[in-house]
Amino acid sequence: MSRFLAVAARIDWPLVGLVVLLCGVSVLNLHSTSMAAGSDVYLVQLYWMLIGFGVMAGVAVVDYRDLQRYAPVFYGTVVVALVLVLIFGREINGSRRWIDLGFVGFQPSELAKIAIIISLASWFQKESRPGGYGLKDLIPVGIMLGLPMFLVLQEPDLGHTLILLFIAGSMLAFERFEKRAVLTLIITALVVAPLAWNFVLRDYQKDRILTLVDSEVDTLGAGWHARQARVAVGSGGLLGKGYGQGTQVAGGFLPENHTDFVFANLAEEHGFVGGALVILIYLGIVLVALRSAVRARDKFAGHVAVGVAAMIFWNVVMNMGMVLNVLPVTGVTLPLLSYGGTSVLTVMAAMGLLLNINLRRTVS
Amino acid sequence: MRKGPILGGERCMADVYLDGAAWGYQQRARRLMVAVGLVFTALLVRLAHLQLIEGDDLQQASEHNFIREVALQADRGTIYDRNGRVLAINRPAFDLYVTPAQVKDLDALVAGAREVLELDELDAIRLRERIEEPRGMWRYQPVLVQRDMPRALVPRVEALRARADGLSVRVEYRREYPYGELGAHLIGYLGKPRAEELAETDRHYSEASVIGRFGMERRFDEVLAGHNGLERYVVDVRGARRDDGWARNALEPERRRIPPVRGHDIWLSVDIEVQRILMEALEGHESGAAVVLDPKDGSVLGLVSKPSFDPNAWSGGLSRETWQAIQENPFNPMLDKSVQSYFPGSVYKVVTAAAGLEEGVLDPEEEIDSPGQYEYGNHIFHCHKRGGHGKVNLYEALAASADVYFYKLGERMGIDTLAVYGRRFGFGEKTGIGINGESAGTVPTRAHHEAHGGYQAGLALSTAIGQGDVRTSPLQMALAYAALANGGSVWTPRVVDSIRSPDGKVLTHYDAVLQRGLDVSNEHVSMILRGLEMVVNDPKRGTGHLAALPYGTVAGKTGTAQVRQIQRDPMRQNVKRFRDRDHAWFAAIAPLESPRLVVVVFLEHGGSGGKDAAPVARQIIEAYHQRIEPIFQTTAALDKPARDAVRRR
Repeated sequence: MSRFLAVAARIDWPLVGLVVLLCGVSVLNLHSTSMAAGSDVYLVQLYWMLIGFGVMAGVAVVDYRDLQRYAPVFYGTVVVALVLVLIFGREINGSRRWIDLGFVGFQPSELAKIAIIISLASWFQKESRPGGYGLKDLIPVGIMLGLPMFLVLQEPDLGHTLILLFIAGSMLAFERFEKRAVLTLIITALVVAPLAWNFVLRDYQKDRILTLVDSEVDTLGAGWHARQARVAVGSGGLLGKGYGQGTQVAGGFLPENHTDFVFANLAEEHGFVGGALVILIYLGIVLVALRSAVRARDKFAGHVAVGVAAMIFWNVVMNMGMVLNVLPVTGVTLPLLSYGGTSVLTVMAAMGLLLNINLRRTVS
Repeated sequence: MRKGPILGGERCMADVYLDGAAWGYQQRARRLMVAVGLVFTALLVRLAHLQLIEGDDLQQASEHNFIREVALQADRGTIYDRNGRVLAINRPAFDLYVTPAQVKDLDALVAGAREVLELDELDAIRLRERIEEPRGMWRYQPVLVQRDMPRALVPRVEALRARADGLSVRVEYRREYPYGELGAHLIGYLGKPRAEELAETDRHYSEASVIGRFGMERRFDEVLAGHNGLERYVVDVRGARRDDGWARNALEPERRRIPPVRGHDIWLSVDIEVQRILMEALEGHESGAAVVLDPKDGSVLGLVSKPSFDPNAWSGGLSRETWQAIQENPFNPMLDKSVQSYFPGSVYKVVTAAAGLEEGVLDPEEEIDSPGQYEYGNHIFHCHKRGGHGKVNLYEALAASADVYFYKLGERMGIDTLAVYGRRFGFGEKTGIGINGESAGTVPTRAHHEAHGGYQAGLALSTAIGQGDVRTSPLQMALAYAALANGGSVWTPRVVDSIRSPDGKVLTHYDAVLQRGLDVSNEHVSMILRGLEMVVNDPKRGTGHLAALPYGTVAGKTGTAQVRQIQRDPMRQNVKRFRDRDHAWFAAIAPLESPRLVVVVFLEHGGSGGKDAAPVARQIIEAYHQRIEPIFQTTAALDKPARDAVRRR
C-alpha cells in the first residue's frame, strides 16, 4: 500500500490533469467542427486518445533506461518508415506524408520527432563532456539529425523538417558548448539559410512565407488559408460566436479546420477567453516538461524532457503562429487539438516519457 | 521554483549528473522557461490583437463571407396629372429564372419550358446550353430565362415549377407610361444607375434598380424612389443558400429583412388632355414646343416638345434599334425644346414697348415713320415687310409688327435699358422649373456683346426686335406673357401641385411662387395688351389674325425669328433647308378680358409666326375651350356680331 502511495505521489498529476483537460477540449472542439460536415472525426479522435492514454501509461511504466537501450532500433525503424513513405506514401496535395495501413493512415514524420529526442538524449548521456561539447561533437549530432530531416524534406514537409531542427536545437541549447562550436553553428545557419531559400524550398513554400508579409496579396491563392484563419480568429472577439456557431468552419470558408487550423475554430467559437485558456494549457505542459528536466535522475532523462518540452513548444508556436498569421503556412499540427491518430499517439507517448521521468526522479 | 522542494530538499542532479554540471542545467532550464513564457505571451498578445483590436473588422470580413445581400426594390411612386390620371406607374413584371444547381431533370425542364414558353428548337437548345454552361459556384447563380413574361403565362409556369426543380419566378417592377409620347419630356423616364450612383449605399441600389433620368422622374427621383429594402441570407463557401443549424443563428432575424419603403406620389398641375391637345396642334410640324400656363398662378397646364419619344421604351432596357432611331433623328427628340432658348424675334417686342413706355421715351399715340428699312451706322436694318408700314402708333406697330418702329425705340434707349426690362420679364434667368437642362437664355447687354465678339450700337436695334443675341425659351415667353395677363406677376412655373402618400394624404403642397414683379405700370400693361389684341383682331394690320376666334377675344403676338443673317438672298431661297428657316413663334392670352390661358407656340425653323404658329395657338385655345373647360364666358351666338364689329374695325 505504501508502495502504491509512493508511486502515486510520483505521478506528475498536474501534467495528467492538463493532458486530460486538453483532450476534453479537443474532442468537444472537433465535435463542433464536425457538426456542420456531419462527420464523426471527434469520435475517431476520442478513440485515438483512449489508445493514447494506454500508450502513455505503457511508456511511463517501462524503465526509460530500456528505452535508451533501444533508441538506435527505434531511430532505424523511423528512418526506414521515412524512406517507405517516400515510396509508398499516399500523395495528398502534392506531398507524400502518409503511409496507408489500410484501416488508418500513419505519419512517420511525427514519430521522427520522438526518435530524434531519444537518440540525441541517449547520445548526450553516453558522450559526456564536462568542459562543454566541441566542434567535432557536432558531426555525429548533425548526421543523426540530418538524415531524418532530409527524408522529411523530401516528402515534402517543411513544417516537420523545421520542427526536427528546432527540437534538436532546443536540446543543444540545454547543453554547454565551446565558443568555437557555437560560432560555427551560427555562421553555418547564416550561410545555409539563403542557400536553402534558393535551392531547397519549393515555390509554393516560398509563396507561403511571402504571403505572410502581405496576406492580402493573393487571398484566393497561397493567402487564402491564412486569411480565412485570421478572419475566423478575429471574428471570435472576446467571447466567441458560441459552440457550433463558427461560421468560418460551418460555412466551409476555413479549410483544414479539424487538422492544421483547428485552433482557428476554437478561437472563433470561444473567443479570446477560450483561445487564451488553450494557450495557457500548453504553457503549463511545456513548463511541467521543463520542470521534469530539472528533476530528472540523469542526463538522458533530462534531455528527453527538454526534447518533449521543445516538441510541444515548437508545434504550438508554429501552428498558432500560422493560424494567427505571424508564421508561414506549414502542415504542423497543434498537439492533441488537431485531428490525427499518429499525432495524438506521438504526443501521448511523449507525455508518457515525461511521466516516466517523473516516476523515476530522485526523491529524498 | 528557485528554492522549491525539487531542488532544495532533493538530492538530485548534483549527485547523479556525472559531470557535476547540475547548477548549469537548473539555470538553463529556468532560462528556457522564461523564453517559453515570453513566446507564449507573444502568442496571447497576438491573439488579443486579432480578436479584440481587429475583431470588429474581421467580424465584418467574416460576415462578408457568409452574408449575401439582395436589394428589395421599393415600389416607385406614381405620377398623376391634375385630374388624377396616371402618367407613370409601376407594374409588376414576372421574370423567369433557372438556378442550374437546383435542376434535377434537365431534359424535363427544357421540354416543359419549351412547351410553356413556346420556344422554338433553337431557343430550347440555347436554354439548355445556358443552364449547362455555369461551373462551380456560378451554378448557384440564377440564369434569366424570360424577362417580363406575359401575365397569362404565370399560372402555367407555376404549374411547371411544381414539376421541374430549379425554376423560380421573380417579381420586379417595370415603369409604365400609359400616355406614351404625350408627356415624355415633362414626365421623363428611368434608366440604370451608373457605377458611382450604385455606390451610394444608403439607397441600396441593385442591378435591378432604376433612377430617374429625365423630367419629373429625375427632378423628384428621391421622392418617387422611396427606399429600397434589403434581404440578407446566409451562404456557405460554395455560395449555396443555407438555412440550417449554424446559419439560423449566424444572422439575427431583424437583419435578415429590411423592408422597402414605397416612394411618394406626385400630382402634377399638368392636364394630360391639354398635353394631348398640344401634340395634336403641333401635328405637321417637325420640331418645336408648346406651353399652356394658367397666368393666375403660373401653373403649367401643358408643356410639350416635339418630336417626342416613348418613355416606355426605356423601361426594361432600351432596344438598340430604338436608340439608334432616336440618335439619328435630325430633330433631336431627346432635347426638351420648351426649356431651351432660341431667338424670339418679334414676340420679344413687348419688352421693348414696356421699356419705351416706362422710360418715358414713348408716347403710345406718337406716330413714328416705319418704312421698309432703316439705315443706322453703316448698316441697313430691314423690316420683315419690304414696303414698310408708314406712320404708325404703338398699337399699330405691335399689330403689324413694324420693325423700324422698334428699331427706333431701341435706338432711343440703348441696349442696356432694354436689358433691364428683358430681365423684368424674367428673361435671362432660369425659370426654376428644374428639369431637362433648362436654359437661362440670353438678355444681351453691352458688356455681354463686348465679351462675345464686340459691341456696336446697331445691336440695340436688333435687340429691340428680339434678334441680335436675344434668346428665350418658350416657357420663359409664356411666363412673360402671363405677367402681362395677370397684372405683373412673373411666376416660377408651377408643375407639381402636391406630393402625396399612397393613401392620398397631401404631404407637401406647392403654392404659387413669385419669381419677380414685372414693375411695369398697369396703364402701360393695358396699352401693350391693346396692341396685342390688335395683333389678333385687326384683320387689316394684325399679323396674328389667324389666331382669332369668333366667340372670344384672344390677344397675342407673332414672332418670326431670323436664324441666318443673310437669309433673304434669293439664291439661298432655293436651297433653303430646314436649318435655315425662321423660327415661328406665337404667344397668346385668352380670353383677353379675364385671362385664363397663356399659350406659347414655338416652331423651330417652322416658318412664319403669323402663318404657321398662330393657327396652332388658335387650335390649342379652341380645343381647350371645347374639350377642357369653357374659358370664354359669352355664348358664341349672342356675341358674334359684336366680335365681328371689332374685327371690322
